[in-house]
Amino acid sequence: MIQAQGLTRRFGTRLAVDGLDLDVPRGEVFGFLGPNGAGKTTTIRMLAALIAPTSGSAIVAGHRLGEANREIRRRVGVLTETPGLYRRLSARDNLLFFARLYPVREPERQVERYLRLFELWDRRDEPAGSLSKGMRQKLAIARALLHEPEILFLDEPTAGLDPEAAKTVRDLIEALRSKDRTIFLCTHNLDEADRLCDRIGLFRTRMLAVGAPAALKKEMYGRRTVVHLASPSPGIEQALDLPFVTKVERLDDRLIVSLADPDAENPALVRRLVELGAEVRFVNELRVSLEDLYLDLMEGRDAKA
Amino acid sequence: MRRLRVLLFKEWRESLRNKMVVFGVVLLPLFLVGISVYMITLGEGIGDPTASIVMFNTSLMYFLLLPTIIPLAIAVYSIVGEKEQTTLEPLLATPISDLELFLGKALASVIPAVVVNWLSFGLFLAATRIVVGAVPLQALTAPWLASIFGLSPLLALFSVGVTMLVSSRASDARAAYQFSSFAILPGLVPLIVYSSKQTLVDLRLVVAEGAVLVVLCAVILYLAIRVFRREQILTRWK
Repeated sequence: MIQAQGLTRRFGTRLAVDGLDLDVPRGEVFGFLGPNGAGKTTTIRMLAALIAPTSGSAIVAGHRLGEANREIRRRVGVLTETPGLYRRLSARDNLLFFARLYPVREPERQVERYLRLFELWDRRDEPAGSLSKGMRQKLAIARALLHEPEILFLDEPTAGLDPEAAKTVRDLIEALRSKDRTIFLCTHNLDEADRLCDRIGLFRTRMLAVGAPAALKKEMYGRRTVVHLASPSPGIEQALDLPFVTKVERLDDRLIVSLADPDAENPALVRRLVELGAEVRFVNELRVSLEDLYLDLMEGRDAKA
Repeated sequence: MRRLRVLLFKEWRESLRNKMVVFGVVLLPLFLVGISVYMITLGEGIGDPTASIVMFNTSLMYFLLLPTIIPLAIAVYSIVGEKEQTTLEPLLATPISDLELFLGKALASVIPAVVVNWLSFGLFLAATRIVVGAVPLQALTAPWLASIFGLSPLLALFSVGVTMLVSSRASDARAAYQFSSFAILPGLVPLIVYSSKQTLVDLRLVVAEGAVLVVLCAVILYLAIRVFRREQILTRWK
């Protein structure tokens, strides 16, 4: 659905996006993560045919960027960082205006459908400026969906929303995924990205890593077993001579053991530790959060080290 | 064409909900019509029959100023309003073309300015006829009519072009309004020329000003269209 090769954008001498390669298939929720000023919004603007790349190419919804920009804009929906609603116009008039700019059949009916879906129907005649922040965000998402886009670019869709409204938005993203829509999600909420995204891309001017959250964590950190010992058992990490153990670290009364396949190798590990005289209290897998991965990558740390 | 119409109606719907715009478009012309008729009445009161004709002549010049003043309010709020409400990017993300966007914004200001100006002019003539009588209307010559009907669209277009250029760089409506005010200068030219000559307008002057305005409009619109490109709006506008 989105294929980019070497997509680059410069603003004068400043490099905003550097050689982005990307392949997002239909129906995928792709999380695009990076700090402020990383070039995420510029990337969205390029992929949504709003600004031209300095170099590189992309095919979005089957159309080549720069050759069929209007067609691309017909097929994508964009939720910008701020809701961007006409404050003096009613919620309904806001949506009707946008529905009529797209080739939407029966705009009134489509607007009603989305106002009801987002529970805004009862507030349809109120000026958008008088709605709460959460309602305005829902209205902006409705606007991005009105023309049933094949690809949806969402820039911080839950930023500033209360937990209830944020959940509504997340549920909506889940529902859209099941309808085979491709979603390109920019967010700072790493927990949200971990839960919602099939794959994530960690980006700072250039792509630092791409993959499924679990696979990325595994790739970056490997799988590690934490053995909690009842007593310190000094020197036991040196005595642990199993061939599948790649690394052992000690943290107080805990051993952190790097293994290729903990599911298969943990029983043998525990058996050997007991043979060596260790008193094992319990064993668990070391959980690495997406936040750890994000911070390590953004700060350029070698995660495995 | 359909999208242009959609944008035009949205602009007008929004403008009607903005008190500043409504004041500029409705109350100001009404005020000028009222004050003009009052001045002609005063002229008639002097007892010199030419006094009311001079006042009538002077009042006609307001209808060369109105088409430059009326679109200021609409155009400023139409562009700076989009910036303040951060609605430009969602709008640019639609299939609307750069030209449709530019024309929508420009015509949304030019059409009401010209229509309101002509309506005000009609109201002024009717009010003068009713309140003062037919004598002052003798000053209404073909060159005057050519001025008011022929030059007003050009004056409005020039004013809108300048306002669009200024508004693209301004971050608040007040600053845009102040900097755009010089767009009324072409409307003042006939006022100065006619006043200094103490005479009625002549057709050569109208044609000359029309020609100058056509050139000015072409330059200003060329610049405004260049500023109204998606890329420019998203990356350069502040």
